[in-house]
Amino acid sequence: MEVFRFSKNVWGQEMLLGMSWDLLWVPVAAALACIAAHQLFRLTSRRS
Amino acid sequence: MSGSAADDIRHKWPDRSFHWTMAVLVVVLLGTAFLPVLGLRFDWVPIHWISGVLLTAAIVFHLYRAFLVHGIRPMLPTGHDLRVALGRAPEDGAVKYDLNQKLYHWAVAATILVLAVTGCVMLAKIDTPLWRRDPSILSDRDWGVVYVCHGAASLLLIFFFILHVYFAFLPEHRRLLAAMVLGRETWRRGA
Repeated sequence: MEVFRFSKNVWGQEMLLGMSWDLLWVPVAAALACIAAHQLFRLTSRRS
Repeated sequence: MSGSAADDIRHKWPDRSFHWTMAVLVVVLLGTAFLPVLGLRFDWVPIHWISGVLLTAAIVFHLYRAFLVHGIRPMLPTGHDLRVALGRAPEDGAVKYDLNQKLYHWAVAATILVLAVTGCVMLAKIDTPLWRRDPSILSDRDWGVVYVCHGAASLLLIFFFILHVYFAFLPEHRRLLAAMVLGRETWRRGA
């Protein structure tokens, strides 16, 4: 999985284009993981 | 003894207006940024840059309110906030924001500021009725850095946005949601 996107300019030099959009799922997955962790924390603190 | 109706207002209408304006603009900006990436083809650039300019204006308005009307002290984390968060001090009912809210605010503020600043620089790459494009203001390498910062901040904003919606709808936070809609911390009139 690439972190950055690159392209070549007219002289064949590599140019940085920006973030790779392959990473689009990362913030969604991270947020869902935080939500799951928070729900778990709520559940366990309610029982104790 | 109950206070006046004005005393019950947690967020005044200019601050609520800013919040919901920002919310709508962030949804439009994220949609116009990422729906084309996901394969939905449409002319997203005009909607994106106009929304970005409007969001920047809204941020300037918020900075005016924050620095000249409210002051930023209520939003600064304190040692007492940390002790409350760790359960080593009792909650202070007079404190408007807890540590999590303050940290979330500063994280989103930094993310949005990076987006606004890099977005304003990127306006030099498009023709609009107000100015002609001039990409020569930066080298290719520097444009790459600007795009990386804008992209990384936008990914971070997706993360914060999802968490914000989740926490806003938790039962224990519904009074905060009511305050952001109506000003007062209840959905019931006169409660």
